[in-house]
Amino acid sequence: MISLRLLPIALAALAIAFAPMVLSDGQLSLGMEMFVVFVICSMWNFLAGYGGLVSLGHQAWFGVGGYSVFIASNHFNIHPFLVLPLAAIVPGMVALALTPLLFRLKDAYFAIGSWVMAEVFFILVQRSDALGGITGMPLFTGGLLGATIYAQVFWAAGAVAIAVLLLSYLVLRSGFGLGLMSVRDNETAAASIGVDVKRNRRIAYAVSAGGVGLVGAIYLIPNYFIQPGIAFSAEWTVIMTFVVVIGGMGTLEGPILGTLIYFALRQGVTNGLGLPGSWYLVALGLLAVVTMLVAPKGFWPLLRDRFGLEWLSVRRPYPRKN
Amino acid sequence: MVWVETILNGIFLGGLYGVLGLGLALVFGVMRVINVAHGDFIVLTAFIAVFMAATVPGIPPLMIILPVVVIAAVIGWLFQTVLMNRVIENDDLIVPMLLTFGVSFVMRNIMLETFGANPVTLDAGQLSRASIAIGELNLGVLPILTLGVSVILFGALHWGVGHTEMGRVIRATSDNPAIVRIMGVKPGRIYALVMALSLMLAAVAGVLLAMRTSFTPNSGMDRILIAFEVVVLGGLGSFWGALIAGIILGVTQMIGFRFDANSGLLYAHLLFLAFLIVRPNGIFGSK
Repeated sequence: MISLRLLPIALAALAIAFAPMVLSDGQLSLGMEMFVVFVICSMWNFLAGYGGLVSLGHQAWFGVGGYSVFIASNHFNIHPFLVLPLAAIVPGMVALALTPLLFRLKDAYFAIGSWVMAEVFFILVQRSDALGGITGMPLFTGGLLGATIYAQVFWAAGAVAIAVLLLSYLVLRSGFGLGLMSVRDNETAAASIGVDVKRNRRIAYAVSAGGVGLVGAIYLIPNYFIQPGIAFSAEWTVIMTFVVVIGGMGTLEGPILGTLIYFALRQGVTNGLGLPGSWYLVALGLLAVVTMLVAPKGFWPLLRDRFGLEWLSVRRPYPRKN
Repeated sequence: MVWVETILNGIFLGGLYGVLGLGLALVFGVMRVINVAHGDFIVLTAFIAVFMAATVPGIPPLMIILPVVVIAAVIGWLFQTVLMNRVIENDDLIVPMLLTFGVSFVMRNIMLETFGANPVTLDAGQLSRASIAIGELNLGVLPILTLGVSVILFGALHWGVGHTEMGRVIRATSDNPAIVRIMGVKPGRIYALVMALSLMLAAVAGVLLAMRTSFTPNSGMDRILIAFEVVVLGGLGSFWGALIAGIILGVTQMIGFRFDANSGLLYAHLLFLAFLIVRPNGIFGSK
């Protein structure tokens, strides 16, 4: 069964590997963006849907990941991909270090508390002269990327997307994943059967931050420039939240479906209807609001139950009674 | 003397912050939901006030508050009945909060598309320039007035919730919505009433704040974060705690402003995070 379920993922990996041979730079850029959106949404979903921690300040990690790579690449004067691991490690470590503070707040309080933290990050970076302040700073090593830059970031983002999907599936089926979900469902009961609640949540938060940071850097590299207004934009968290809500929180397929809907909506509203600026985000917000009213669990669970689909479900059958 | 003025101005501003937090705390206390759109409703009421000032020239600025408060109450009642009551009975409290997050974002962007991103101020005319001199101190009349309004609102709500029939029903609904249903109370109606009340408070604070500082459609974000910090620092269910917390944040912001002019809410946010470490249950909460 495992191999059959993983077949679509293997095919997707194959397609990603060969896509740059046929796609234009613009299409590759769009593809990269889709992977980035999928990964940040999966990471947010990992934390909210499985860990029960709703963060409204996740844009902080997108920015920290981006700035880590820009700073390190500029400093050592090397290809940004060589320091790309930092885009996951630095946000992961900073997130881990902040958990004792943030976890003093529970549930809705945690959500807004993490937002305050993200706002502090944003203001501090904006005021830092060393980081170029409000105007941001260039990637001096951008020339090292050469002409194939779009193929490179497409591959990088695609590889991360595949890895995130596979790892989420494996991790959530492991003991750690089970522990995480038990904490989400009932903290007290989980603790009473020996689940280390705090440790599980800490790890989940750090992993989620690291994943967002990693693709944040990949997204920002082809701009050759990083600006606090874009890197720390609250819009990232808005996208994560709405995409996951629309697709289906607490399912691995939800972010995939949500990402597809997001891009369909964006192309439809911006190019189809010709509405400028942020109108597609308004449409996304409205769709999310409507989703919460008519299908609070999101659209994937709706499709799954309607058509009996099971793809990457981490549900396990009950043990049979003899 | 400059310092005394700074601190006094912080106190005046903090009173408003207290009112912002009060509206948020009221909704959270009764429905267990943080209304993320609170800040955007505040900005919306400020835009309505600006619009009114433009359509009725010569209207005394403080008179604008009355119609705006009525409009805010209607918006709050509709928001609760049409949207929130549909998800509030959900066991999962994440959904109602995310719903307000969605509404917040949609409102902010519609306001951005309609009013643009340029800063707007509500011209309070003579009032904004009037000041009184006490010894060497030079204090604005408007800030003093706003503090007075804040204290009155705090007192009125404190009395209303604690000593009236309606207040008793609200407290009972907050304690157990299932039981009050047996007594013939419709929790949905009480929720709508509470949301209306919350947005009325938001409207007063929003209009007064708009007279003091310029705002943009994006200001809702600053407003909700400050309101949230007031609620956490003040401790839930403590009216006067919220006022004190608002004043502490206001004073911090003003002192920060003296040191470095474009710090915005940075020092207020940092103070909030620092308090989380030493007193996670609020200033007056147990350790």
